Order: sequence, then C-alpha cells, then structure tokens
Amino acid sequence: MLKTGVVQVIARGADVAFVIDENAPFDVVAAELREYLSNQGGLWSKGDITINVGQRMLAREELAEIKSIIEGNSGLKVTRFWFAPESLDSGELKVEAKPAKAEPVVASTAKTSAQPAAHNEIVLPDTAPETSAESVSAVESIIESLKAKHNKNGARNRNITEALFIKSTFRSGESLHHHGDVVVLADVNPGAEIRADGDIVVLGSLKGWVHAGAAGDNKAVIIALDLPSSRFQIGKYEGVAPTSAKRKPKSSASGPMIAYVRSRSIHVAPFAGRFARYNKGVPYDG
Amino acid sequence: MTGRTIVITSGKGGVGKTTATANIGTGLAMRGHRVVVVDTDIGLRNLDVIMGLENRIVYDLVNVIEGECKLSQAMISDKHDYELYLIPAAQTRDKNSITPEQLREMCADLEKEFDYVLIDCPAGIEQGFKNATAAAQEAIIVTTPEVSAIRDADRVIGLLESSGLHRPKLIINRIAAEMVKRGDMMDQKDVESLLAVEVIGLVPADEHTVVASNRGIPVVHNPKSSAGGAFLRIAARVDGEDVPLMSMEPKTGLFSKFKGMVGMNGRAYSHA
Repeated sequence: MLKTGVVQVIARGADVAFVIDENAPFDVVAAELREYLSNQGGLWSKGDITINVGQRMLAREELAEIKSIIEGNSGLKVTRFWFAPESLDSGELKVEAKPAKAEPVVASTAKTSAQPAAHNEIVLPDTAPETSAESVSAVESIIESLKAKHNKNGARNRNITEALFIKSTFRSGESLHHHGDVVVLADVNPGAEIRADGDIVVLGSLKGWVHAGAAGDNKAVIIALDLPSSRFQIGKYEGVAPTSAKRKPKSSASGPMIAYVRSRSIHVAPFAGRFARYNKGVPYDG
Repeated sequence: MTGRTIVITSGKGGVGKTTATANIGTGLAMRGHRVVVVDTDIGLRNLDVIMGLENRIVYDLVNVIEGECKLSQAMISDKHDYELYLIPAAQTRDKNSITPEQLREMCADLEKEFDYVLIDCPAGIEQGFKNATAAAQEAIIVTTPEVSAIRDADRVIGLLESSGLHRPKLIINRIAAEMVKRGDMMDQKDVESLLAVEVIGLVPADEHTVVASNRGIPVVHNPKSSAGGAFLRIAARVDGEDVPLMSMEPKTGLFSKFKGMVGMNGRAYSHA
C-alpha cells in the first residue's frame, strides 16, 4: 500500500524504525535492506537495534538473515527480537510453516537501558555467533525461551506496532492487515478491505469493509467522518446496518460517527470524543 | 523529439474506451499532431472498425512484435488528411501473444516518431491490461456514471497507482443530463468525490456517437454534435490547453433547486 519503496525509514525523535513493505517477498526485502544499508551505511554506524517482528510469520533462517544483513552492512548491533505472543501460540515461527509472503518487519533502535524488558522480548547474548548456521540456532534458542516466558505471562501487548497512516484513497481491491491502529487520511472505497488489530480511524468516507480489533479485541472502535459502509467487524462481532431508514443513525449531516461494541453487538453513534459515554447508539445487527 | 504514450483504460467493458481512443486520437491529429493509436485488444479488435479502416488491415500488432513485418508496414494511415495512424490488434491470437516488455519497446520506438501514442486497452485487469499499461507513462480512465463502471474504475486506478502510473485522468462518458437533473444518475461531483482523480472530460450521451461509430467516422469529425465537441475539448486538454469543463446540468428552475436543497429529489442510486 505504501508506494515509496520496499524499505522506508521513519524517524521519530531519537527513535528510528525500518518499515518494510508487507507485500514484498522475503528475498526482495533482504535485497532492499542490503542495498539500503550499503548506500546509507554511514548513517547507521553505531548503536543497538531491536527487531520487532510483531505477529508476522518469519522462518528462523529469515530472522537470522535479517540479523546478519543489518549487522554485516552497518555498525548496528541486533540485541533483541520482539514477538507478539499470538504468533508463538499458533506456531507460526516454525521453519516448516514458511509463508509465501514475508510480512512487514519493523526494526527500531531502542534505548535498551531505559526500557524494561517486556514479556515477549528477549535480549541476545553479547557474544552473538557470526556464521549463519549458528545465528539460526541463536534465534531458535530465543524463540524457545520466548515461548517459556509467554506461557507464564499470557497478557497481550496491544502497542507493539505503531499506527499506520494511509495518505491516499484506499481503493477497491486493495487490502491491508496491520497489527496496530490504522488511520486513513482519505476515503475507503467500496471493495477495499482493512483489518487492524487496533482501532480504525477514517478521515473521510468509509464505504469499504473494515475489521477493527482483528486479533480479538472487542474494545476496538471504528471512527469515520462519514460511515455509509453497511458491514464491518469489531473483534468477533459483525455489524450489519439496519435496512429500515428509521433505525439508521443520522450520518454525514451530524458529523463523524463511531462504531463500538456494547452488550454483544455493534452500535453506531455520532462521535463525541474518545472518552464520551456512548449509550444511545443504533445497533448494527441487521 | 519524444512523444507521450497514453493508455486509455476502464476496467469494465462497454463504457467507451475504444470510442474515446479513436476520438481523442483524431482530435489530437486535427490539432496538427502526429498521432498513432494502438489497439491492444488482441482477439477482440474494434478500433479499426470505429475508425473505418477495417478493410485496409494487412499486418497487425502481433506481426510487428513477432518480427514478421516492419513497424511502418503495420501502420494504417487514416482516411482523412491528418497525420493519424492505426496499429490494429490481431484477431486470431490472444492476449498472451505479446508481453508487457515487447509492447513497451514498440511504444518507445513509436515515441521517437510521433507526438502521441494512444493505447486502447482491453477490458479487464488480466494480461491484456498489464500489457497495455506497462507501455504508457500516462493513463486516461473512461467511466460511465454507473456504480458498476465506477467500482471497476476505482480498482483500475488502484492498480495503475501501484504500478507507478500516478494521477490518471478521468473521462465520464454517456452522461444523460435529464437523468442527472431528476437525480437518477450520478453527476460529475458524485463521481469525482468517489474516485478522487482529476476529471479531464465530460461526454454527454449522444446518438451521433453511435451513428458515427457505425459509419467508421469518429464523432469528433462533427464538432457541432455535443459528443464531438466534448471529445475535441478533451483532445485540447490532453494537449495541455486549459479548457474549462462544460456544465452538463440542464437549466434548473427555482423549484427544482429548492427541492435539491432540501433533499427531496430522492436519489435512485447509492454509493455504498
């Protein structure tokens, strides 16, 4: 969806994230990452880096390769991997379950000393092995210890990934799954699909199909300046706009709308701020 | 001199891609440019019929690509006194007979000789679409004010943008002013707000277009007809001239304006 190239570098103050296109095949990602670092290597001469693979499916060799590309082409040192607990549950990190597509990889430099270790985070040993076969086994041991950690502490971390901004019209046939919040600064047209593990905010007209809280978060919300879409999902609930005109909420005329889950069904009401009490929404259950 | 290669596409079939190609090509030639139109609808060729050149075809696009003839041998000169040429599609082959790279190469050769290379794209988003769009630097989308055509146009714009053809221009074809007035058809604003691209032309539904196509004389040869005039203005806009869009709205009385304001002219369509 982002058309500026496979590897994007996003700087936010002192933190830097490498965002890699989720539709790009892994070998393209690896090649682009290598090319980017060899061109811009001077910029990344020093520092520790955390690789956040979120809930993505990456084989162990692929993790090891990313680590060796980053360390081989820059002065950066990969000190940790982040994993979402869900990806461990489903065993997606198994080598055998190698996916056709590599999902986005977000790597961000982290102030390692300042951040407390989260349940799904692992610090690499200082003497990280150099050869790739050994790297693989290092990654495997990380995964093993991660699983052990996760079993003890099953809480979900929603803020693993940053919000994704889509700055142009999201058109029919385009689809996106982001493991965080999604903000669209334009319309979402009919036939487009967006799944977000967090909230979905559309600063335009939402006519496509969206699923907020796609990882099972029923507290996620959908906010749109105009909400003509008649079907969408939040968490495990599906909303279908009432067909009778009477029961439909007053839309565009009354400004932005919010869709949320109350008493096990999706309701839609005029948006009155993130922390307003919503209890007069129109139920979207067909 | 380097020419511009423009693909004319739509996604949906039957919205007027071929008619638009023939008319814009003719319009640009009437403005004194050297123009070649390429029919890439292999297996379902039509552009030659609309331009009235059907019985002059000897060699076609696939012959050129496969090296059976020279590029110049496949170019059919228009009947009229303009610098306008047609490269027809093969009728007995299919879309897989050529590759995007081959067409891109051929268009690069044509750009050296011509001011405009217009590519008539087949309907759909399969191989034929990929061939046609790979060769172009610019795109014109043709749509009609119907939800199905607009949905397909939306999809095509997304595909074009992801393949690097940004900012396509839009032609809204077959606008029936009377239906727009009654609220039974989308108007320019509705289409524009849905597709979020620049409109380069509004073509009214005009029976002259059908008659002209049947006779093999593009309607642009009759600039007094409403569609002919519209295509001539589109050619001028493609050529970089700043021609304002003509209003398609019939003159509205005070009462219908009032009805529009209070939302009484109920719309028979839905965007969603």
